Amino acid sequence: MSLNGAVSLASVGKRFGNYVALHKIDLDIRPGEFFSLLGPSGSGKTTTLRIIAGLETPDTGQVSIDGRDVTHLAPGDRDAAMVFQSYALYPHMTVAENIGFPLRMIKTPRADIERQVRQAAERVRIAHLLHRRPGQLSGGQQQRCALARAIVRSPRLFLLDEPLSNLDAKLRAETRAEIKLLQRKLDVTAIYVTHDQEEAMTLSDRMAIFIEGRIVQLGTPEEVFGRPVSSTVADFLGNPPMNLLPGMLVGNRLTVEGQTLHLAGGVGNDPRPVLMGVRPGDITLDPNGWPATVVLAELLGESVIADLLLGQAPLKARFNQMRRFAENEPVRIGIDPARVHLFDPTGPRIDLKQN
Amino acid sequence: MRSLRRTIGLTALGCFLFVWAFPVLWAIVTSLKSERDVLEYPPIRPFTPTLEAYRAILSGSSSLWLNLESSVILTVFTTLISILFAVPAAYALARLRLPGRRGLGFGILAAQMLPPVGLVIPYFLIFTNLGLLNTYPGLIFVYVYFSLPFAIWLLISYFEDVPREMEEAALIDRASRFKAFWYVVLPQVKGGVAVTVVFVFLNAWNEFLFAVTLGGRTVRPVTVAMYNFISLEQTRWAELSAASLVAMAPVILLGFAAQKHIVKGLTLGAVKGTSRQ
Repeated sequence: MSLNGAVSLASVGKRFGNYVALHKIDLDIRPGEFFSLLGPSGSGKTTTLRIIAGLETPDTGQVSIDGRDVTHLAPGDRDAAMVFQSYALYPHMTVAENIGFPLRMIKTPRADIERQVRQAAERVRIAHLLHRRPGQLSGGQQQRCALARAIVRSPRLFLLDEPLSNLDAKLRAETRAEIKLLQRKLDVTAIYVTHDQEEAMTLSDRMAIFIEGRIVQLGTPEEVFGRPVSSTVADFLGNPPMNLLPGMLVGNRLTVEGQTLHLAGGVGNDPRPVLMGVRPGDITLDPNGWPATVVLAELLGESVIADLLLGQAPLKARFNQMRRFAENEPVRIGIDPARVHLFDPTGPRIDLKQN
Repeated sequence: MRSLRRTIGLTALGCFLFVWAFPVLWAIVTSLKSERDVLEYPPIRPFTPTLEAYRAILSGSSSLWLNLESSVILTVFTTLISILFAVPAAYALARLRLPGRRGLGFGILAAQMLPPVGLVIPYFLIFTNLGLLNTYPGLIFVYVYFSLPFAIWLLISYFEDVPREMEEAALIDRASRFKAFWYVVLPQVKGGVAVTVVFVFLNAWNEFLFAVTLGGRTVRPVTVAMYNFISLEQTRWAELSAASLVAMAPVILLGFAAQKHIVKGLTLGAVKGTSRQ
């Protein structure tokens, strides 16, 4: 594989005053990969991106791009383009001047600028808007202009800081797909910051989950979604997120709210308090299941999101059928033991041993 | 109800406008009278308009050309130097998180409150020793000293309005720090610079106190020269009026040229200013 757009962070740390934004993190991003930095606000994901871009200097550690130490290199010398959350278009320049700016800064001949600007604009379908100013564009068009400005210079690294958060829902889904296609076509490494787990899941080849300045999990979307390493990660992923209910594990018998579930494995015979994690979509209506009450049901069309009460514990379930529920309607729910996640009450995942 | 309020508003506006414009209108009328007509009583009566007063101050014995030249030299250099220093200073203060930034803002305001009269004597003594008395550099120095803090203070809020991300985008787009400033930040504070130019220009052009004490016979702007029309025996009202109108002209022209920016700038500055203190 060509070494083009590989990014490596080695024990990179950053603090702002007394606030530690980033504990020493290590991260390797492969060439050509679509890599997401996912986390709630204040988790350090944007700081990480800005350090890669060169807009912040880390207090400790080293940043390399394609094996070259760039820790103290100016942002412009890193061959990385960036799309900002606010787009950061230059309001006093036309769209064409905006897109051409990175070329003008390295004294590209005028004719070349014109040609490349047109190409980039055509790629994101705004070639008919080149003479306008950013203020005369819609949000989606501004977004495209920012994308064109980033791709016009054929960077080896494409940095995106929550680029979709200012768009409405429909446009967001469209643009999301386009960004992915663009990245594939240009064969460029993309690093994408988002707090929206759906965006990260759909776009990424791999992703890193940031929580409080640390990377808590790194892997493909399937790995992260299918096997969250802690209750915090589990709680962060999925919409609605995973249910976490306190229970007691004895051998392979899990007791939750007075109900018992037989798991495929256990962790020894001593009773142990645990958190049972189960995704809303893994709960089914089952005549032989546990008794619960429907507090509120939201019909989404193909499915129903139901707020349930299992004993005293609130629970969210997604039933994949069209069905109306009466208020406080008693139902019976089934939970597939194979789809249950177990966590220690302090957070970490518990892996079951087969017995 | 609505139309009544509108009528009252327009009437009030008309009154203000008349009161404000009255001296100017009076000056225009007076400047067109002959010395004899000026002294007629009651003053409002028909007269034969004449351009005699203008002829006198532009080409006659009391020509103001040299004084206008002085005013232009003082004002243009004061404005240029002030802007040249104020723009980078304001940019730095807006962008860098310097300790004591707030204190500095207060200091600038406090310096503005200092009555200039208090500084006339010290300046006179210092300038005498330095040989700066009766020189352009001396007066320009004083003018810059007074206008620079205000210019910086005015410009800071404009620079603060330029999103930091825009500059970062420029840096990522391979601009140097200076180019990011020159191509991305500066064009966006154009309006602020225009407003600042007008204020500095106005202050320098209208200055009288320091010009009369430190300028002597060699550096004599229009404001000082106009005092010649007032003497012990008589005041030459027609010529004085004509002179003040001529002196007003550049300021009014500049005002018209920068009108768009000034209105926007004043309201913006006002809101930003109060929120920052």
